[in-house]
Amino acid sequence: MLDCDAKPVLIDGQDTLAKLFRDRVGRWGDRVAFREKDFGVWRAYTWKDYDRHARQVAAGLMALGLRRGDVVAILSEDNKEWVFVDMGAHLAGCVVNGVYPTYQAQQLRHLLVDSDARVLVVEDEEQLDKVLEIREHLPNLLRVYVIDWKGLRGFHDPLVEPIDHLYEAGEHFRQARPEALDAAIDAGANADIAVLIYTSGTTGAPKGALISHRYLLHSATMAPDPLPLGPEDELLTYLPLCHAAERMFSLGSCLAHGTRLNFAESSETVIANLRELSPTVVFAVPRIWEKFYSRVRTLMSEATWLGRIGYDWAFAVGTRRADHQLAGRKVPASLELRYRLADVLVFRNIKELLGLDRAHFLLSGAAPISPDLLKWFMALGLRISEGYGQTECGTATMSRADRPNPGSVGFPLPGVEVKLGEADEILVRGPNLFSGYHNNPEATAKTVVDGWLHTGDVGAWMEDGSLRIRDRLKDIIITAGGKNVTPSLLENALKFSPYIADAIIVGDRRKYLSCLIMIDQENVEHHAQAHAIPFTDYKSLCARPEVVELIAQEVEAANRGFSPVEQVKTFRLINILLTAEDDEMTPTMKLKRSFVEKKYAALVDQMYREPA
Amino acid sequence: MSALLDVRNVETFYGPIMAIAGVSLAIEEGDIVTVLGANGAGKTTLLKTISGAIDCRKGQVIFAGEEVQNRDPDAVAAKGIGHVPEGREVFPFLTVEENLKLGAWGRRDADEVARDLEAVHTYFPELKRKAADMAGYLSGGQQQMLAVGRAFMGRPRLMILDEPSLGLSPILTRTIFDVIRRINAEQGVTVLLVEQNAAAALNVANHGFIMEVGRVVMDAPTRELLRSDDIREFYLGQSDAGIRGEKRWKKRKTWR
Repeated sequence: MLDCDAKPVLIDGQDTLAKLFRDRVGRWGDRVAFREKDFGVWRAYTWKDYDRHARQVAAGLMALGLRRGDVVAILSEDNKEWVFVDMGAHLAGCVVNGVYPTYQAQQLRHLLVDSDARVLVVEDEEQLDKVLEIREHLPNLLRVYVIDWKGLRGFHDPLVEPIDHLYEAGEHFRQARPEALDAAIDAGANADIAVLIYTSGTTGAPKGALISHRYLLHSATMAPDPLPLGPEDELLTYLPLCHAAERMFSLGSCLAHGTRLNFAESSETVIANLRELSPTVVFAVPRIWEKFYSRVRTLMSEATWLGRIGYDWAFAVGTRRADHQLAGRKVPASLELRYRLADVLVFRNIKELLGLDRAHFLLSGAAPISPDLLKWFMALGLRISEGYGQTECGTATMSRADRPNPGSVGFPLPGVEVKLGEADEILVRGPNLFSGYHNNPEATAKTVVDGWLHTGDVGAWMEDGSLRIRDRLKDIIITAGGKNVTPSLLENALKFSPYIADAIIVGDRRKYLSCLIMIDQENVEHHAQAHAIPFTDYKSLCARPEVVELIAQEVEAANRGFSPVEQVKTFRLINILLTAEDDEMTPTMKLKRSFVEKKYAALVDQMYREPA
Repeated sequence: MSALLDVRNVETFYGPIMAIAGVSLAIEEGDIVTVLGANGAGKTTLLKTISGAIDCRKGQVIFAGEEVQNRDPDAVAAKGIGHVPEGREVFPFLTVEENLKLGAWGRRDADEVARDLEAVHTYFPELKRKAADMAGYLSGGQQQMLAVGRAFMGRPRLMILDEPSLGLSPILTRTIFDVIRRINAEQGVTVLLVEQNAAAALNVANHGFIMEVGRVVMDAPTRELLRSDDIREFYLGQSDAGIRGEKRWKKRKTWR
């Protein structure tokens, strides 16, 4: 673990999540902490409900004999039990390790062996089966608790119990030793490890990043002035809570500001859930923002003649207004007036349709987003801030909604230092740093040198003093001609097309750049249908010459903004419909560059043999 | 394209509800092709659209090089598409013989008709024995035979069958499928078969389409379909029981 002599970070005088939680329950006891859908109806849970369950979990873990620093793993989609177990483990001084529910048994095995988890909470029968498959590798696992016992009636195994047994055991323990729990809370310290997060590992095996209370408290206070979060805010929790970004955003703002969490029913219902909820704060990965945009584009292509005229006019007005704002000029009164009209007639409907009509704080993160997309939202009247960070340093910088500058990730957060090192690599120092990799001092020593975290990202300073991310250091392509190219800029331009879901540019040590493209199934199918292009399944859709031609046009349009050496000369479509369960995708639905390059090597070679 | 039947981007609605959301498929002459899918996937609607029983809003149905979508069903039948509807739908108050002759309605080649009737009697000897009985008195299996025989009497180039195994015992199902195979092999009739009984259908067909909520999600030769994990788990009910000896959850479908 790293020696860290950074100053402690406190919120309202509390130096651990557990103490802050106790403070919040005291202040907000009867207020709603979160909601979850139960048979189609949103059910509310107060801070007292949250407290009761979290304490039962904590006492239950202590009754099992868990000690400070023992690891409790959670293998589940986001739900209230996830949050109960998470806080319960913090109260007992245990370390929480969230595991992506999309992981297969062997990936799970690597994580559980490495973290030496003592207790595992799984969502249901499906997840349980993964654990049972690898149980002989987990001698130190004391117990597996199952949240949803459906399908397991009649199943008996000394290792496995329904989660209610944990609550009950905790209740007994609390009655027997009422003082034990608060003593455990008091024993926590700012630098203690709270969470273990395995980085998604696009290369090699995932590494477990140790995250302290200091890190998490710092990130909970992150939003720049004026801080727009408060107890009346609603947010939708839908990205995996095991990911650092969703943990910081959802759990952090809930604990620090009392923002109410609403758990999405599943990853497929996110768009519908957003619409019914109209959250006031929205955190999304670029993929979701792209989805919003392409939905509007598709709707407009079907709209009536009058509807299209109205949309085009409104966007012209919105874009001009945004241009003024971006240039730092005052918006002329007549333009502002026209914008108001456009808002009433067009934008408000669009925002309602997307569930963004109440949103006052919008944040994009976890991957670079296309500046064009940010400008499009700005024309609509929605300002999206962009955050930059990684598991190892939480959020390092954030752009300010009052000083929009698409393409920049903003300024370092208070207390955080950022500088550019060798090859313009971004280096970060501050209380937001992680505490090292679990069981891996060599990797830690390579990543943190003299107190500075080496992010592996290449950056540049912009004129206004904010930071711009160029690319991952290892993703920078050096063509056979010796030209340095940052693929992510063109990749983002490609992803801005409603027909392209994801793109990976290759060309390291090659004559020119080429690209593997994953099409946006919904929009391309829609296009094919509208233009009478026959196809049967996904594969045949990708093989249609008309579809290839459509993508070729999009590629050409994206190429236009780049110099000839930075342009993509040829491309191929990935003709398999990929899901988050596939090795090619990260759990946040990004294509893994190195993996894709390897797996589709034949396709890549083909592009260099027959470029047309 | 020389496909006998070429369905292109067909969209069919029931009022505001889209039952087929853009389906394309091509069937080569001489093939037996099956369309599999859960209830409500749009299989029956697809067959009805092909035979003209309902009109589509968009797209084309091209049969032997000619567009036949949205024509009257009798005109489509005269072109050579014989539809065996779901649930048999024989004429209950007519005799078996009358039902079969109705299938040849509009044909003037009396000799040929007589020969085809003979062929139906060879395929289904029971229908010969019951020739004078009212069709409504036949068992379900015999009625299905009659429906198939009746469609055959129209001398179709393409026979489309909607769940011929519906409500039949395994033995009868096999009989019906054997005859379908023989009609295909001996008479050169191309067959499009919609089925819930995936195992039986994949057994006779050489190509298959899988439909889900109004779309084709898989299109492959039967050999490949039988190898697909999704088909094995969701259509053939084969799944490894898992470590606990039972498993209620289903993995997510990927269609590959």
